[in-house]
Amino acid sequence: MAVDTSILGIAVLIYMIIVFYLGWLGYKQTKDTDDYMLAGRKINPLVLALSYGAAFISTSAIIGFGGYAGAFGMGVLWLVFMNIFVGIFIAFVLFGSRTRRMGVNLGAVTFPELIGRRFQSRFIQGFSGALITVFMPLYAGSVLIGGARFMETALNIQYNNAVLILAIIVAAYVITGGLIAVMYTDALQGGLMFIGMIILFVLTYSRLGGVVEAHQSLTSMAYLVPENLAAIGHTGWTSMPEFGSDIWWTLVSTIILGVGIGVLAQPQLAVRFMTVRNTRSLKRAVLSGGPFIFMMAGVAYIVGALSNVYFLDTRGMISLDAAGGNIDLIIPEYINSAMPDYFVVFFLLTLLAAAMSTLSSQFHTMGTAIGHDFYREFVMKGKTTKTISITRVGIAITILISVVLAYILPIGIIARATAIFFGLCAAAFLPMYTGALFWKRMNRSGATASLLVGTFGSIFWLTFVHAKEASALGISRALFGVDTILTGTWTLVDPILVATPLAIITAIVVSLATKPDSQEHIEMCFQK
Amino acid sequence: MLGIDDPQIWIAYVLCFLSAIGCIIYGAIKWNDGQDEEAC
Repeated sequence: MAVDTSILGIAVLIYMIIVFYLGWLGYKQTKDTDDYMLAGRKINPLVLALSYGAAFISTSAIIGFGGYAGAFGMGVLWLVFMNIFVGIFIAFVLFGSRTRRMGVNLGAVTFPELIGRRFQSRFIQGFSGALITVFMPLYAGSVLIGGARFMETALNIQYNNAVLILAIIVAAYVITGGLIAVMYTDALQGGLMFIGMIILFVLTYSRLGGVVEAHQSLTSMAYLVPENLAAIGHTGWTSMPEFGSDIWWTLVSTIILGVGIGVLAQPQLAVRFMTVRNTRSLKRAVLSGGPFIFMMAGVAYIVGALSNVYFLDTRGMISLDAAGGNIDLIIPEYINSAMPDYFVVFFLLTLLAAAMSTLSSQFHTMGTAIGHDFYREFVMKGKTTKTISITRVGIAITILISVVLAYILPIGIIARATAIFFGLCAAAFLPMYTGALFWKRMNRSGATASLLVGTFGSIFWLTFVHAKEASALGISRALFGVDTILTGTWTLVDPILVATPLAIITAIVVSLATKPDSQEHIEMCFQK
Repeated sequence: MLGIDDPQIWIAYVLCFLSAIGCIIYGAIKWNDGQDEEAC
């Protein structure tokens, strides 16, 4: 590491003190269930936008996808457009306003509870809660690993201790301060991330001689694409991969569509729509949400791709070679070599903030899913202790699971965890959630069938067909002796393109074939 | 355009900027829009 550890240590210490102060504020302001679960339904639009964006963009989005752009080029900018248009605009304006209103009408305090009450089904609430409890720790585990690896290299803390320290710090303010603490600290972390990425953006273009010059240099590097990558569709860093090639399918189906659309049904993000006072706050949040996501994802991917120009100028090699063939090291290697020392310190804080903001919202959502949705509402039928106490226990349990996963999971599966979780949410929740908000005719049977088909369709495709997960999991090999039971292009098609359409068709067919829900209930859900 | 030959890339690049600017304009226009309903 190029910078003095003591300066970084002091910066981290100051940052942690402010985080704890905000956590304490959250604790002081938490008086009832609505406060703990939904930040009192009166969050400021700017805090909402920053918190939504900071929870959405984790370290892996900056380092992992930024590195992906370094290796495969700017095609991933389509994901940025999807993130802004679908993840912010469509999400806040269309989904957000209806989610907020229906949440108030039904008195729901979590995402599974909103869907469960809309369809008058404890099963839907309990099953959704269980699904989040089982699969979100995979995602949280991978974010935890990212954050701990950062602490290991930057602060010279042993990896195993770093996992524990990070988990305990985040747990402390999430468990005590609930969603108010989560959103306040997210907003601080989002602010840090925003400033860090603006500086990175400006420094990179100025270092490479300007916007057009930098792009031209990158375009002229196409002949340097390694043969093994050219063979699977890589055509250069400023052109799309060859249509229908391996890289094209992964880019378009898993990354652009999977992550781009999957974001709409992320429980830890959707619940935030219920934290604001009115629809106007959601519209105001769009103003800061769009530029925020651009500055996070857009800058990371543009800089990732442009790092090739820098490494060619300074070392005569492409980024992938400069990072020793490890995609995840492209951004850290670039920051360390190309950026001034003061910025390296700041950027490391940015990454720590990105990891912590995503972790805190994951911990809160997992805790509410297992404690409130699964145990209190489904198992105990709502007849047990207070929501806040049971959620606190839930958060503690799920943090423990995430920490254990961070220790034991193999690297291969960890890298897939974010994609698995996003894909699963899109298939299991998106058709049901969309129907709940926009289609009055959608009923309990349609929603239940869609939830089950989406969940198991997605899990089946991940385990037996989609090569990246199926070979990493090894279940298909153990049962049938082959990595995937289908071959050819099928093994590149993301589960989202198979399971989500199946779940949509199921939702429509089953709803139309069965009795509508009572008119009285529907009116109550949709009343203004 | 912008030093990028492939339209599939520069269109994405431009759309990223436009969508972010679009969000700013939308948020500004709707700043005082709509109902003032209270949550609870």
